[in-house]
Amino acid sequence: MSRIWAIASNTFREAIRDRILYLLLVFALLLMGFAQVLSLLTVGGEEKIIKDLGLASISLFGVLTSIFIGVALVSKEIERRTIYTIVSKPIHRYEFLLGKYFGLVLTLLVNTAVMTLWFYLILLLKGFADPRLLLAIALIFLELLLVTAFAILFSSFSTPILSTLFSLALYLVGHLTWSLTLLQDRLKSPSARALCRFLYLVLPNLEIFNIKGEVVHGAPVPATLSLWALVYLLGYGGAVLALACLILQQRDFT
Amino acid sequence: MASVLEVSHLARSYRTNLSWRKYWILRDLTFSVEQGEIFGFIGPNGAGKTTTIKLIMDLVRPDSGDIRIFGERHRNVTVKKRIGFLPENPYFYDYLTAEEFLDFYARLFGFPRAIRRSRIDTLLERVGLANRRDRQLRKFSKGMLQRLGLAQALINEPELVILDEPMSGLDPVGRREVRDIILSLKAAGKTVFFSTHILSDTELICDRVGILNKGELRAVGRVSDLLGARVTHWEVAFSGLAPDSLPGLSRVVSREGREVLGVCQDEEEMHVLVRAILERGGSLQSVVPQRERLEDIFLREIQR
Amino acid sequence: MGTFRALLVLLLGGLTAASSALRVERLRQVNAPGHHLLYLPSGRYLKAVTFGYEGLVADLVYIWSIQYYSNYQIQDRYTYLDQVYRRVIAELDPHFLDPYLVGSMIMSVEAGRDDLAMLLLKEGMEKNPGVWILPFQAGFLCYNKLHDYACARDFFQQALRDPEAPAPVRRLYAEMYNRLGDRRTSLKYWAEIHDTADSDYVRQVSWMHVHDLKIDVDLEDLAGLVRRYRELRGESPRRLEDLVRAGLLARIPTDPEGKPYFLDPATGQARCESRHLLQGH
Repeated sequence: MSRIWAIASNTFREAIRDRILYLLLVFALLLMGFAQVLSLLTVGGEEKIIKDLGLASISLFGVLTSIFIGVALVSKEIERRTIYTIVSKPIHRYEFLLGKYFGLVLTLLVNTAVMTLWFYLILLLKGFADPRLLLAIALIFLELLLVTAFAILFSSFSTPILSTLFSLALYLVGHLTWSLTLLQDRLKSPSARALCRFLYLVLPNLEIFNIKGEVVHGAPVPATLSLWALVYLLGYGGAVLALACLILQQRDFT
Repeated sequence: MASVLEVSHLARSYRTNLSWRKYWILRDLTFSVEQGEIFGFIGPNGAGKTTTIKLIMDLVRPDSGDIRIFGERHRNVTVKKRIGFLPENPYFYDYLTAEEFLDFYARLFGFPRAIRRSRIDTLLERVGLANRRDRQLRKFSKGMLQRLGLAQALINEPELVILDEPMSGLDPVGRREVRDIILSLKAAGKTVFFSTHILSDTELICDRVGILNKGELRAVGRVSDLLGARVTHWEVAFSGLAPDSLPGLSRVVSREGREVLGVCQDEEEMHVLVRAILERGGSLQSVVPQRERLEDIFLREIQR
Repeated sequence: MGTFRALLVLLLGGLTAASSALRVERLRQVNAPGHHLLYLPSGRYLKAVTFGYEGLVADLVYIWSIQYYSNYQIQDRYTYLDQVYRRVIAELDPHFLDPYLVGSMIMSVEAGRDDLAMLLLKEGMEKNPGVWILPFQAGFLCYNKLHDYACARDFFQQALRDPEAPAPVRRLYAEMYNRLGDRRTSLKYWAEIHDTADSDYVRQVSWMHVHDLKIDVDLEDLAGLVRRYRELRGESPRRLEDLVRAGLLARIPTDPEGKPYFLDPATGQARCESRHLLQGH
């Protein structure tokens, strides 16, 4: 376990020293600026718009971070051959992979926390604060964990460019699985419907983690939703990571 | 006494992307390294030295064959606690300082902080980087990186040290330092296995060598055995005489003004030449027997 | 390339790019940024490309629409009002209330399209059944612009189902009955408002309505009694006391100010001494 932590903290340190924090600053300033300018642009709806924007930025920024850093996590080490000295130590390859994963998770946690703090501060000042937003952000964070797992999966066998494309595609598809249900209703042949159902269950359903609309509009959210979302993450994410470990295990570092 | 490292019938091939043909990098490689010796693994570029080392370090899987380290399967994670490894042209996390870098590896072994600290201090001292401990690796020169890499390989005080081209990219001073470290390891009872294509270093420090060419082991044995005590020829340096029509002289190596360096085939010819020089009033400067150098053996084996 | 030449190319290139961009803009005769948003497909399809960010996209389209529709220099800008508000924004985020309100106002007041405004508000009410402000807006449209008081009354009633509906809604609801001529029901509601009033202002206003309505209702009742008297006796009563004597009235009723009603000797109609407090009664 301490070996995983050694890799994780090292990964975290690398991300931090990568000056990614400067982007956070940009985010903070942009959000603040937009919130001030907003009243000039719109008639009503300011509260909703600021909340939508804040949530969307935290989500989007997190996804981009998790993909762009995640896809290089393993492949960069292999390409640069920094992995040679690590694998020669008494560490299992899966420990290395999990360490990389949790290092990035830690980075995402810090990023998200900082952005959330700033966002909530702005809301408090304007009088729009709502603790349910924190729940929405928590679920967004769970979504990030799943996206990161996919990024690292692709990283274990593919180049950063391809992995980025795959991960982005998967993110988009993950938010479209609801359309499979619609498609299923319109199809006639039972095998086609079965295929739709199968795809719907197999492809990652990222909309499970999306309660932005409900929270912003003050609509109710089922109490057990968060719990099931967490279970989904643990199951699906665990499977993805296990696959990544398997792939890394078999790989030859030529 | 069991060998520290045993490689048996190791084979490794690869296929290019589109063809079915297999290209063999190694076929049926067998050798062993004994405890306490320095084993040099030499061969031209592309011979398969790095592949062999990668196979030993479980970075790559063999097509067939077996590797045993300390008598155990080389894949055992516990085995790795007792070995140290430095890859060729290593690349490290350049955002870390030297100290953080070594600490990172030390933590992979699970050493407590006190031990980590003392080992890091000792090793930095030993590789001559003690005054650079807080500098980020991105500012290190190649020689410094190589030395730090060596430190990383020794962080766990391993019994077997495996180095891939440890002397590459170093200036003569650097090479001498690495040689000294390797010798000190042997003095401490450790075993060292390294690959190189710089033969002079090998000759100086290795107990045994293996010559690899095109995936096959051409020769293995003690340096002294391979080289033999046989004198191949004699070099005689003299001045004050023209080399033409001197008996016993088979060829002239060089002429500089009045100084001549010539070669005699064997001892008899040498005696003939020396007597002739003295009789004719020339000035004899040196008579040196030449034994077969490793380079000669190397080139010979390569061409077979 | 020398530094000077590189800088020269940089400067010229930049100027060329800027001027040609301006020229193209003028060619297109576009003076509204984001005008191409008018060609957005319906929100249902747009939703597929928002990937979980529909709320934000709806916000952005809404903000754009405000800029676009408040730009008086754009001719014919009302052509796609329905498309923008009902088909795009409402489909993307049906619970976003401001576009229904603002959109319907633009449609009704600026574009003169009350039909579209009503359509938009109906859509909003369908998607947000418990909310008071949408039916209130619809009711106000019926009342103020269309002068369709029955329609207004129904909408105000719908609005009142929302416990958060503010007090003025109830007042307008009560008043609609009056406009429809149903003074009794109007009086009933106004009386309720008066009894439950929690501020002097409301008490005062509602009192004025109650006052006037009571007078109207009483006069109506009295006119009915007068007719009844005529049927029974065959002649018109000359004073209200006649009605009392005939047993049709218990006693002479007083108006809300306490003054008794009387019969106008000239017309034979019941009259009131007090005047109406409000115009239009």
